[in-house]
Amino acid sequence: MRLELGHIYIKDIQFAAESKIEDGILYVSEEALRAVALEDEKIKSVSFDIAKPGESVRITPVKDVIEPRVKVEGRGGIFPGVIAKVDTVGDGKTYALKGMAVVTAGKIVGFQEGIIDMTGPGADYTPFSKTLNLVMVCEPVDDIKPHDYEAAVRFAGFRVATYIGELARDLTPDETKVYETCTIKEGLEKYPNLPRVAYVQMLQSQGLLHDTYVYGVDAKKIVPTIMSPTEVMDGAIVSGNCVSACDKNPTYVHLNNPVVEDMFEQHGKTINFVGHIITNENVYLADKQRSSDWTAKLCKMLDLDGAIVSQEGFGNPDTDLIMNCKKIEAEGVKTVIITDEYAGRDGKSQSLADADPSADAVVTGGNANQVVILPKLDKVIGTLDYVTKIAGASEETLREDGSLEVELQVLTGATNETGFNKLSAR
Amino acid sequence: MNRGKYIIVTNNPLVMEKHGSTRNVIYKNLSYEGVLREVRDRIHEGHSMLTHPLSGSVKPNETPYKSIMLSEERRGIDERSVMLIENAIHACGKFEFKSDRYKPEVYKDFQLIDCTLIESGMASADALY
Repeated sequence: MRLELGHIYIKDIQFAAESKIEDGILYVSEEALRAVALEDEKIKSVSFDIAKPGESVRITPVKDVIEPRVKVEGRGGIFPGVIAKVDTVGDGKTYALKGMAVVTAGKIVGFQEGIIDMTGPGADYTPFSKTLNLVMVCEPVDDIKPHDYEAAVRFAGFRVATYIGELARDLTPDETKVYETCTIKEGLEKYPNLPRVAYVQMLQSQGLLHDTYVYGVDAKKIVPTIMSPTEVMDGAIVSGNCVSACDKNPTYVHLNNPVVEDMFEQHGKTINFVGHIITNENVYLADKQRSSDWTAKLCKMLDLDGAIVSQEGFGNPDTDLIMNCKKIEAEGVKTVIITDEYAGRDGKSQSLADADPSADAVVTGGNANQVVILPKLDKVIGTLDYVTKIAGASEETLREDGSLEVELQVLTGATNETGFNKLSAR
Repeated sequence: MNRGKYIIVTNNPLVMEKHGSTRNVIYKNLSYEGVLREVRDRIHEGHSMLTHPLSGSVKPNETPYKSIMLSEERRGIDERSVMLIENAIHACGKFEFKSDRYKPEVYKDFQLIDCTLIESGMASADALY
């Protein structure tokens, strides 16, 4: 597959009477956005706001972060099986609006995730303090069930992002990157001396607010499979999870997966990037057995020399991570695993809930239990009503001076396990 | 692997209410860690664990609720189950205890999340029939 990804840099977002992109400025009509969000009758009302880097703004509770894109050439459309019809994506030409994001927020259950601070110490820990954020807070109709509300907010975010992406259809990108994959045979012929390496991506798949979707399919119900790494750039994988916001992949991270990005960068130079294997993280132990068996089998069938394995989450997925690592290594394929740590507030506890001697090459995204003080900010988009009930927070979180004492867990993307953020350890 | 037949050990009243009449649900008024210890005892009696004890991203000591599926039948002690449950009990110590510090309405949401987690395990187990 060959995907041309055109970058269109967005320098500012402004509300206006008409939606358009001109000279790098995104003008959006609130009325038009509202109509798109309210297409779903389960949403009663929606409010939009703009948060810019450096502003004294806190966004919470964050559900998802999405980069607007549009498919201008090739099969399918952005978010296949979710917004566009099911069709294989990852080939042709796609435009991405860089430097901005659509952020969905709202109360779904009484304990909430996550926080994006646009300034102060919190901003240093979340990658989404650096994007211009168009934030949408959705209110559901009365007596809605949490499952239905979660789905309504998720789809509304994708619809709004798609609407904005469409505004770029006829523009000329500021920069274009080309990603090209080879078939198995082509790769062998072209790079006979380079190590064959694949990316194994583990997807969160446990239940409400803990789910991921692949071409619209609930990842709990997939068996491990192989994708072209360009497919995620067109939205083949989307997020439905946000609990412990620090180490969950918002849709933005799936679209811009840094492991995929870096492996492409090395493709043909130091490695032969053979493919992208996806697997899940179910709660049922027999599912873990099946999925890790299959993942190792696929690595073997692809004749890999190495695999980079990224995890999503903590606890239950630690077991999948170690099972994958152990079984892939047992097939003679070297692994590097990417995880994060829950090492206690003092950092002295065992970092993972599972371990094995074969896991001898580990990259960490940081300690999610690390405590940070977030000062009071001038404006809150969303609500602080639930900030005391997020993972890593409690009723004592909101201090008298309005500051928050929290663990890194609450900050969206803080310890991301694809390396999307900057934290690590040596 | 014991196919289909399972018991659920839980301290979540919602799991008991929704599934108690159709599944073998053992409800105990225990803490999160208490449920893990109860499950450990049963593993040592020969039950094997069928769902992960740290399911869900709402951490131990944050949510008070935990539901775990075990095989109904008893065989020899399953070493893998022993290791997983011991690691899970150890993990509880890493999280500050705050599951008694929430407002009452939040508990229903914690119950709901725990219930959806175990239901995803039930869907997998039931599909094995």
